[in-house]
Amino acid sequence: MSTPVRYFALATLVITTALVGCGDDSDAGTGGGVVTIYSGRTQNLVEPILDRFAEETGISVEVRYGDSSDLALLIDEEGDRSPADVFLSQSPGSVGFLDQQGLLGTLPGDVLDLVAPGFHAADGGWVGFSGRKRVLAFNPEFTDESTLPSSVLDLVEPQWKGRIGVAPSNASFQDFVTAMRFKLGDDATRQWLQGIADNDAFTFANNAAVVAAIDRGEVELGLVNHYYVYQALAQDPDFAAINHDFAVDDIGSLVIVTGASILKSTDNNAEAVELIRFLLQNEAQRYFSDQTFEYPLAAGVEPAAILPEIELGGSADIELDQLGGDLQSTREMIRDAGLEG
Amino acid sequence: MTQASRAERAPLPLRGLAILVAVVFATPVAYVLWRVITLDGDFGDVINESMGPLWRTTQLAVIVSIATGAVGTGLAWLLVRTDVPFARVLRLLAPLPLVFPSFVGAAAFIAGMGPDGAIRSVMSVVGYSVPTRFRGLGASCFVLTAFTYPYVYLPVAARLAGLPPSIEESARLLGDRPSRFFFRIVLPAIRSSVLGGMLIALLYSLSEFGAVQLLGFDTLTRVIYATRLLDRAQSFAAATLLLILAIIAVTIERRMRGSLRHSAPSSMRRNAPVTLGRWRIPALFAVVAVLMVSLVTPIASLGQWAWRGIGRSSSPASALGDQLSNLRGPLWSTTWLGVIAAVVAVLVVLPAALLAARFRSRLAPPVTSAIVGGFAVPGLVIALSLAFWALNVPYFDRFYQTTPLLIAAYVIHFGAQAMRSTEVAVATVPRHVRESARLLGASPARRARTVELPLMRPGLVAGGGLVLLSTIKELPATLLLAPIGLQTLTTRVWGAFEGGLLAEAGLASIVLVIASGTLTWLLVLRRADHLG
Repeated sequence: MSTPVRYFALATLVITTALVGCGDDSDAGTGGGVVTIYSGRTQNLVEPILDRFAEETGISVEVRYGDSSDLALLIDEEGDRSPADVFLSQSPGSVGFLDQQGLLGTLPGDVLDLVAPGFHAADGGWVGFSGRKRVLAFNPEFTDESTLPSSVLDLVEPQWKGRIGVAPSNASFQDFVTAMRFKLGDDATRQWLQGIADNDAFTFANNAAVVAAIDRGEVELGLVNHYYVYQALAQDPDFAAINHDFAVDDIGSLVIVTGASILKSTDNNAEAVELIRFLLQNEAQRYFSDQTFEYPLAAGVEPAAILPEIELGGSADIELDQLGGDLQSTREMIRDAGLEG
Repeated sequence: MTQASRAERAPLPLRGLAILVAVVFATPVAYVLWRVITLDGDFGDVINESMGPLWRTTQLAVIVSIATGAVGTGLAWLLVRTDVPFARVLRLLAPLPLVFPSFVGAAAFIAGMGPDGAIRSVMSVVGYSVPTRFRGLGASCFVLTAFTYPYVYLPVAARLAGLPPSIEESARLLGDRPSRFFFRIVLPAIRSSVLGGMLIALLYSLSEFGAVQLLGFDTLTRVIYATRLLDRAQSFAAATLLLILAIIAVTIERRMRGSLRHSAPSSMRRNAPVTLGRWRIPALFAVVAVLMVSLVTPIASLGQWAWRGIGRSSSPASALGDQLSNLRGPLWSTTWLGVIAAVVAVLVVLPAALLAARFRSRLAPPVTSAIVGGFAVPGLVIALSLAFWALNVPYFDRFYQTTPLLIAAYVIHFGAQAMRSTEVAVATVPRHVRESARLLGASPARRARTVELPLMRPGLVAGGGLVLLSTIKELPATLLLAPIGLQTLTTRVWGAFEGGLLAEAGLASIVLVIASGTLTWLLVLRRADHLG
């Protein structure tokens, strides 16, 4: 045997031994008060309340953080061998995808009943646990709020040419367009998208990029979720962008929810249900309202004082779980209008 | 002697090992093809819809590759072979831009262009008004080149460090100016390292997502990401297009670089630097300008983010202390994951390098292509494919979401970066040196330790160094495959960035850069003899 070959045989042996040695501590607790969560909500937004749950119940919590869509794809690869018990999603799209794949269990009726009927999947696959409202962000330094429209549909008017920023590949924007399709029909939606594109809307990668650009004066107006400006303001008191709300019953004021679900494959169903119930009780709902500036969804919990009032259920004539369903056609419409890229 | 070398066949265990390595590296590709078949995608449709992104991806990759070739090679020659001032410090800084996770690097650049951003402030001092809109092809090429030239710089610097000083000395004796003997003498000698680095930069641009997304440039990876939940057939078909582009690139590069077997041999002698004369100061300016753009600018933006958050809190010192102590765990896991991945990657690609460089094996091209191709697959796809294989191959499910599987993901994704440097390292151990050691009766182990490894070391270390820096900043596979609860500096940066906590993202990024700099110095530069 020549030298390098011998060297390799040895190295391979060492590596294999190491692999085998490391491999055997992978058995997670089996039902002994552990719940494993895949969370598409970021750590800073959700960890404090998960820690409170662990403290309160003695059930320990293990969390894998990641992008909602990526985690949903991973769960789909894992199938019935998923280590996850609970999946928390940033938007209805990812939980809707898993529901369609038949990977979600059914939540008990008393958990679903904690929120208004419009805020959980009709089949009980997932439940919304906080809400974000669509708004028009602007910078009062450059734009007078009294000139801003009361309906998102008016943004196709010629006076808004070259002044609007959107994040067309963002899940919230796509959810909003899907909702518009349900409320106004495909033709009206197509026309609106075309109008926005014809108005030379600027496209951004995500909502945070849109509000940052508004703050810098790079673009005047942006269609985003409501809490980005509050979060930015909490860190930077000089942050200049603020929200303009469309009329309460306007499609532009749609509320999009974050979704909690239990996987069908879970061995820890009781603990998982307990966790989701906890997320919908007063303490957690207050936390989402006061710390992450989202709208609480459980009946009887008031939103934080700085948030403008909304009529929860104002958009309830749109079945939110349909948002997960027909996203593909939505995406095609957005692309056909020339808004992507 | 030549006759003997022609006849020499690679030993069977080596060939077996190389095939095994190739099979492992090909698993993501097999997964993509499997999914394309099972999801029954319509290729005609995909190609129709992806013509635009395909063309834009090609443009981006070609331009970035050429630009990194020029910047990386120029920098390496100036810092390794000439008497440019402060070369020692600059050599430490030059590889570091590679470590910015692309989403952070691009975001820092964009923020720097804003009204109170660092770039705008500096440029306004010299009377230049920076355009507010920094998007599209030009911006993407600029940012990617700034962050990926080290793919060329590190291997080329390692190669230059190993070249005998005589090649420049003789040119100088003949009266050539530095610029002339660079093109006539030096460039041909380092060609395979330059092309290898350019190929890596090209493959990186093909699979890059974070930066081009922020810069609003619509490439194939955007198609892969945008359709990954909604139309998986299209997503995987787009990934296949990416792989085809990668195969074309690998093939072209192989044609261009010619045979490695005629590489100029390494020498252990320390080089007399080329004297630049009156070009010394302009050369220093050129090097500093590159580092200003690719290192200082993003750090300034990140520092600004960190300062805005921490400086405004009631007690900045304790806020800073809290944040830093939160980063201790991630710092440690980042370090050991990076080091292990780098060592394993070099060991794993060595059999392929030996096949390619020492034996005229027909196995070598497919094996090296499999290794290099892994870098064109987006990290998300690598992660999903390893999840698929780990869960579906008997026995391997016990490794699912354990450290060994995560390391495997890093090695498969980044092994390409160690490949060329390792090949060059193996090829440049002069044959007569090996032969004489054998004739003198040295045992194989002793020959490896005292003759081969010292000569190969700069190349091996440079290749490992690239893998180290890439692993440190890896995101998608780390998020999906790491043991639950394990965090790296990059996952922390991402979490903070996604959650809108710019201050924490800025601080964690700065810690990331400092940690990478320290590791590069300790493990790469000091060990690569002439590099440090």
